Amino acid sequence: MQGIIRTIRDGSGFDILLLSLALIYLVTFSAFPIIYNIIMSLQTVDMFTIASFNRPFVGLQNYYDILSQPIASAVFWNTVKFVVLSIVFQLSIGFGLALFFQQDFPGASYLRGLFLAGWIMPALVVGAIWKWLLAGDFGVINYILMSSGVTEDRIFWLSNPDVALYAVIIANVWLGIPFNMLLLSVGLASIPRDVYEAAELDGAGAFERFRSITLPLMRAQLGAVISLGVIFTLQQFDLIAALTQGGPADSSNVAQYWSWQLSFQTYEISLGSAVSVLMILFVIVVAAVYVRSTRHEHSY
Amino acid sequence: MLQIEIDSLNKHYAGFHALKNINIAIEKGSFVALVGPSGCGKSTLLRTLAGLEKTSSGDIRIAGTSVIGKPPRERDVAMVFQSYALYPHMDVEHNMNYSMRLKRRPKPEIAERTRVAAETLGLGGLLDRLPKALSGGQRQRVAMGRAIVRNPKVFLFDEPLSNLDAALRVHMRSEIRKLHERLGATSVYVTHDQVEAMTMADHIVVMRLGVVEQQGSPLDLYDKPANKFVAGFIGSPAMNFIPVVTGPDGHTLAIEQDQAQHLILDRKLVPRSRLWAGLRPEHLSFTEVKDGLALDAVVESVESTGSMTFVTAAVASQQLVVAHSGRPEVEKGAAIRLHISPENVHLFDRETELAVFT
Repeated sequence: MQGIIRTIRDGSGFDILLLSLALIYLVTFSAFPIIYNIIMSLQTVDMFTIASFNRPFVGLQNYYDILSQPIASAVFWNTVKFVVLSIVFQLSIGFGLALFFQQDFPGASYLRGLFLAGWIMPALVVGAIWKWLLAGDFGVINYILMSSGVTEDRIFWLSNPDVALYAVIIANVWLGIPFNMLLLSVGLASIPRDVYEAAELDGAGAFERFRSITLPLMRAQLGAVISLGVIFTLQQFDLIAALTQGGPADSSNVAQYWSWQLSFQTYEISLGSAVSVLMILFVIVVAAVYVRSTRHEHSY
Repeated sequence: MLQIEIDSLNKHYAGFHALKNINIAIEKGSFVALVGPSGCGKSTLLRTLAGLEKTSSGDIRIAGTSVIGKPPRERDVAMVFQSYALYPHMDVEHNMNYSMRLKRRPKPEIAERTRVAAETLGLGGLLDRLPKALSGGQRQRVAMGRAIVRNPKVFLFDEPLSNLDAALRVHMRSEIRKLHERLGATSVYVTHDQVEAMTMADHIVVMRLGVVEQQGSPLDLYDKPANKFVAGFIGSPAMNFIPVVTGPDGHTLAIEQDQAQHLILDRKLVPRSRLWAGLRPEHLSFTEVKDGLALDAVVESVESTGSMTFVTAAVASQQLVVAHSGRPEVEKGAAIRLHISPENVHLFDRETELAVFT
């Protein structure tokens, strides 16, 4: 204790001050809510007991209840589809655009800047705009599809249970492309040009250079973008709230939205906590993969 | 037989004339150095040979076939980059045999040729290392190994030694030269270091601002520089230049600032012309030479490297460097006489900077 006081008095305790500020922040805003959430998922929490901490402890009963709900498997598969399809399309389109803007053509950097528009807009606003675009009776997308002869009839994107989830995925892909493009552009820019030139002299064509130089050298960035994409997609709440609210009939409901519904619409707070704890466990696995992938970063 | 022919080659970047009417003929099996200060176009010329840069006009023929418009991989040339440009995710073996794997050569052949190249370069025990686990010199060897496994028509080197420390650089110079002879290859070597060019090349091309100033054998360039730039560029320490004027009969030279100092020439020049006299530091001597010329000078500084002594002396407010092998007994501030034999005096026109012989 005296040691600590001395270092602070001597002015050499500044590092401790900085460290403790960060630590206090993390404990208050990250560690405490997570631990509190885990505790709630093991108790019975409803509107009557929410104010006190002394609540009946029920063990894993909440987890059992949640998994035995009839919509649990639908929500699970919706979440899988939502995450996998969002990532696949965000990544491939984002990577394609990053490669495209890597080419040297006039205005490349301005155009790339324009793509960031999607990133600075709040998801709620994006959701509202996509709701208009996707509207069944007056939406632009239906108009284009029908006038170009792709479909005969209107598609009720947001009210047809068969397509509602895909409508949300399309909007989410659009929202995620700029992030993917930007991170992958940075990765591409860090590959030295002469490595490509050496490969060209060694006899590699464009496709071969992509396969044997670009892809392996982008491994760390791709790993990072995929892991962060999974995490962001599992956080995606505003878009669903703006577009379908999980409906119709839970056809576009995903875990994060369901957790919110349980906690704040039907006030089955302990069940909502249980869902979010399951999601946290999954995200921890993804984060571990992400941390591992950064080890593959190359120095040139 | 000519392996590379460059005919009236021009290269324009947006509004910038980078290579101006380049003509070079390179014999099969020769070692050619492209040398010049930075920005002279030597690297651009090399990259144009490799096909990494497009030409604006003119022709390049490799082994008799024009390669204009052909992509790099159809030119059968290998290049060693200044940065080495190793594939960071591949180990030494895969770095070296990448080209053969792309061509889908049979596995035993790939293994054999990789092994031979690795042995030639002393990389035997390092085949499974990644580039980041190698020293600068080892990376340099891998870059060369990648070139030699291909057995190409032409080797291109883009300042391959500039990232190495001084001792290793001197060592690698002779290694590269030996390798060149063993493989019987045709090599084009870009460097800004004229010592490297002089010691390694059979043929030197001196470039400045996109123009070939002079080309020829190293000693030709040293003995008969075509202009003041080449004279100053080739040779270390650099040639001394002092402004002079010829006398009324064309047989004498006087230092412009001090007309009392006369030199009697071995040739007859146009009377009263204004020239640069170029005197190589190693041709200036403290002792009298036969039929020699003498200049009065004051010693300004003496630097000794042990084997060589470099004396800076002022002649009529012009600084001259004298290179003396050994340790002359001169002191700062001392008045001395510098001697040079007339055939070692190079003369250049003051306006055109071209060499003047008669």
